[in-house]
Parts: sequence; structure tokens; C-alpha cells
Amino acid sequence: MITVDRLTVSYGGFTAVDDVSFVAQPGRVTGFLGPNGAGKSTTMRVMVGLTPATHGHVTIGGLRYADIPNPGRHVGTLLDASAQHAGRTGREILTLGAQTMGLPKTRVDEMLALVGLTDSEAKRRLRNYSLGMKQRLGIAHALLGDPSVLILDEPANGLDPAGIRWMRGLLKGYADRGGTVLLSSHLLHEVEQIADEMILIGHGRIVAQGDRATLLASNGTGAATTLVTSLDNDALAAALGAAGHAVAAAGPGLRVTATAAQVGQAALDARVVLTDLRDGGQNLEDLFLELTSSTQRDVLPNGASA
Amino acid sequence: MSATLPPPPPPVAGHVPTLDVSGTPRTPFTRLIGVEWRKMLDTRAGVWLLGITAGLLALIAGIVLLIVALADVSPPSANDWLNILTIPVSMLVPVMAITIVTQEWSQRTAMVTFALESSRLRVVLAKLVAVMALGAATILLALVLGLIGNIIGAGLAGTDANWNVTASTFGWAMATQVLYLLMGFGFGLLLLSSPAALALYYVYVWILEGGVIIPGIMYVLWIAFDWGQAILPWFSMRIAMLPFQIGDSDAASLENDLGANLDTGALGLAHVFTSVLIWVGLPLVLGTIRLLRAEVK
Ligand SMILES: Nc1ncnc2c1ncn2[C@@H]1O[C@H](COP(=O)(O)OP(=O)(O)OP(=O)(O)O)[C@@H](O)[C@H]1O
Ligand SMILES: [Mg+2]
Repeated sequence: MITVDRLTVSYGGFTAVDDVSFVAQPGRVTGFLGPNGAGKSTTMRVMVGLTPATHGHVTIGGLRYADIPNPGRHVGTLLDASAQHAGRTGREILTLGAQTMGLPKTRVDEMLALVGLTDSEAKRRLRNYSLGMKQRLGIAHALLGDPSVLILDEPANGLDPAGIRWMRGLLKGYADRGGTVLLSSHLLHEVEQIADEMILIGHGRIVAQGDRATLLASNGTGAATTLVTSLDNDALAAALGAAGHAVAAAGPGLRVTATAAQVGQAALDARVVLTDLRDGGQNLEDLFLELTSSTQRDVLPNGASA
Repeated sequence: MSATLPPPPPPVAGHVPTLDVSGTPRTPFTRLIGVEWRKMLDTRAGVWLLGITAGLLALIAGIVLLIVALADVSPPSANDWLNILTIPVSMLVPVMAITIVTQEWSQRTAMVTFALESSRLRVVLAKLVAVMALGAATILLALVLGLIGNIIGAGLAGTDANWNVTASTFGWAMATQVLYLLMGFGFGLLLLSSPAALALYYVYVWILEGGVIIPGIMYVLWIAFDWGQAILPWFSMRIAMLPFQIGDSDAASLENDLGANLDTGALGLAHVFTSVLIWVGLPLVLGTIRLLRAEVK
């Protein structure tokens, strides 16, 4: 369990992390989301004592990081996969970690196998690693000490689709077995699928937190929308209109201001065959962009702040 | 893609928010030293540096012997050997001391190092012990080469080997090497940048202080000017230590050049103390403070 308590980090006059409090619970994957420069990495560096806090503090399992003996055995960290010596081989990097933590050499082989780095890849020097290979090595390094807490800064960065899926399963499994997993990302769809809990941060401040449903419920615009495609869109639109739902054309189908159940019912009544029916309501991405829009550095094309 | 999952993390009892650290002792200091030792030898740069050091020592010894064998000169004495072979040591060992610190910053491995050992002071001390051990091994190699060189040189010239090194001379020569190593280490901590620390080290040792062959700026000023004799012993470790290191016959001629006496009394020791404080003590202390406070990213 990671507890961030009123954490503030200032650089001169600039406040990178502004009075941030949250808890990452054991048994859950907590996603830490925010646009570039929101303060995610800074917060994570404070957690492991690499960046001093200006105010507030962080504890891991009730302890300050500095008070955890042999911390690699309890807290696995991946803060920057390329922050390793370019001239060391992948295997050597893990061996140094294992030696520091007092782990047997076999642990290195186990971790290499786990992250899917082959023997010959492990013999290459880090400067010859691809982005995704560095990332895999970084994940292997974080897992070396079999920690109960994982702090991962953008772990999916550079992973191929298979790698992302694998990592998702890995982290999920870790949390299911009681571990605490905190991972950051600026890509919502990456986090959405694994995180039980999400912390949204923008401009150093937390703008929302909770699980997916809570976030949508507390911040959504209210009315549900559904995307639907059928064999006879015109007939369906007429039926939905008659039932009092707002309907608009959207791509090959329709966007309806109604729940999926209401749309399905209308289709059944009108005896129209549906080919696609899904939640088209305000999705998390809209919410994310909306909540962080005041901190977003790029102007959004269709004004997500509306 | 994936092989077996890792063994499960220790179960977190209910939602009790405490980490059970009772079964994990603190990382032993000896293990930290072992890791730092390994880090000096596990990159090509590290291996090259060691190879160059050993190679240079052997090369210089070989060249000296070649000259003795080919030219009709008297063979170098043990003191000469000491003077000659400590040059490459003082050139290269401090480079190890500098890079063992600065590399963590240039390669950004400090993030991992300090995440695995929160006490930065322990890491610094482990590095210091490791690099001292490497420095000691290098000096030992130089001494063995000098010993063998002295015997072979005398053999080639058909004379008896001259063992004119006193315990005091030897002690000061070793102290100088250790101080140079500590100075490099301190510069590394203070500047956290290999090029800056190397430049500062070489400017100080080779341009300001100078060596047996080419005198440095401070040395020249010290010989030439009265004010130099008054001030520079406080600022130059070499000048401060010279009176203690120099042989009696050399001392006489140097005193003649200076027109003054070399001080090996309390004042002389005060010179040594102050100059060491300035170039070794201060960088070590300030550099350690800097490292303890620095943001690592
Ligand atoms: N030493 C520093 N001096 C001044 N500003 C800093 C310093 N370090 C970080 N910052 C600023 O703090 C802010 C937060 O940076 P941080 O790296 O935590 O963002 P992030 O959320 O990780 O972004 P990204 O998604 O791009 O990784 C940024 O605006 C950054 O420029
Ligand atoms: Mg970041």
C-alpha cells in the first residue's frame, strides 16, 4: 500500500506536484494518469526517495522508503528503462541488481525468461537494445526482488501489442495475489483496461480519482449514449425517435441518447436486426481530456471542454 | 512470450497497511562494496582503463630497461623507479576514482543504485572502499614492476642494485597516491561530471603542480619568487610534501635554488595539512553533501 499524503514538490517558483494525496491499495492496480508534465514521474521519484518533497510525505506499507531495509525486496521500481549503463549487457544489469539485493543468480535467468528476453538478447549491450527490449529489462529489474509493491513509470512505453497484453496479465496477476501496483501513463486506453482504480492528475493537481464507474458517474454529463448499427437504420431511427430518444447519424450507424437496453428494446419492438450495439456514451477518454484540458498543451479540435 | 509467473508476493494480511520488513536485514556493507567493485570491471570502458594502466606500467618499465640495455647509462635506482612508475599510477588511478562516481550520473544509473540502497552515504563509502582496493592493487603492480626492474636494470648494467628508498620516502610516495585518488573521488562528487572532474584533476596535477619531469606553474613560481615561497606551500600539496619526500642530497641543491630552508617541522606539516584540506578534504566533504542532497533523475 502506497500512501501519498499532501505531497508538494516545488522547483524554485514552479510547483510540479501540488498538494497531492492518494492511496494505492494492495490487491489492486492503480493507474496514475495525466498529460505530459503533469507531475507523475516527479511523484514517483519522491516515493523512492530520489526527489526530495517540499511538503508532505509518502509512505509505503506505513514506512518511509528510507526506512525499508533492502528496499528492492519490497518495492520494485521502474522509473526510466533507459537509465542504465549503455555498455552493460542486459544480463549484467540484472546480475548487479540481484547481487545488491542478495538474490541467487538463478533469479536473473527466471526474470529474463519471464519478460521474454532470449539468451542472446541478454548478452547484448543496452545501447543495442530496442525501446521495447529496454522496457522488458526494466520490468524484469523491478520484479527481481519479488516485491509486494510495484511502482512503474510508463511501463507500457515501447512495448508491442503482445507485450502490452502480456504486461497487463502480469500486473493483474500480481495485484490478484495481494500486491500493490501503481503504474503511470499518459495513454488512457492503456491504463483503462488494467487499472482497478485511477488517479487523474493535471498540472500537479489531482483532478479526479476512483474506479471507472465512479469516475464516469461523478463526472459524466448524465445521459447515456449508445452507438448502434442495424440492417435497417432508417426504420430503427424512426422507432427510436418515436420512443422519444434523440438520434443522430454516426458513421455506418446511429448515435442514440439512450441506454443500450432501451435501444435493444426499440429494435426488438421494431423487429430490426442489430449488427452492432455498444456504449457510445461519454467515454473515459473524453472525461480525461475534459478534466485535464486546462493543463493540456494542445488545443483539442472539437473542444472537449464543452 | 511468457514463461512461468514469479512466485506470489507475500500475502498482505487483510488490509493492514504495514510492510513486513522483519525478515529482510539491511544490505550488508560488504555486499555494496562487492557490487561497486563489479561495476568498475563490467564495462568495456572499465576493462580498458585497467588494461591501459597495467599496460602503461609494463611499457614504461620495459622502455627504461631497454634504454639501460642499449645506452651506456647507469641504471635507475629504486628511488628513480618509484618516481617513474608512480607517474602512470597518478595519471590513471584517480580516473577510476572519478568515473566510479560520475558514471552513475552520466549513465543515469544513480536512479537504480539509490533506489536499491537509500543510504547514499553507504553507497559513497562502498565506492570509496572499492576504488581504494583497485588503487592499492595498481600500486602493488607498480611496486612489483619497480622491484623487478631495479634487479634487472642492475643486472643489465652489471652493477649492484641500488635500494636507496627510505621508509619515509616510500611512505610519502604512497600517501601522495592515496591523496590523488581521494582528490579525484572528491572532484567527481563535487562536479558529478566526468569531463569536468577529469579536467580539474589534470589541470591541478599536471599544470599547477607538475611532476618530476615537467614542473608545474606553482612549482615554478615557488622556486622563482619570495612571495611564492611564502604562499604556495599552503596551496600546493606537492610543494608542501616535497621537503618530506626529497632525499638529502636533492634537498641541499633545492635549498640552494630556493635560497631558503625546506621546513620539515610544524610549519611544514601545517603546509601539508592545509593544502590537503583544500584539495582533498573540501571537495570530499562538499561533494558528499551535494550528492546526499541532489535530486536523482
Ligand atoms: N528540476 C526541475 N526544475 C524545474 N522544473 C522541473 C524540474 N523537474 C521537473 N520539472 C517540471 O515538473 C513538471 C512535472 O514533470 P514530470 O516529469 O513529473 O511529468 P510527467 O507527468 O511524468 O510527464 P510525462 O508524461 O511527460 O512523463 C514538468 O513541468 C517538469 O518540467
Ligand atoms: Mg514522466
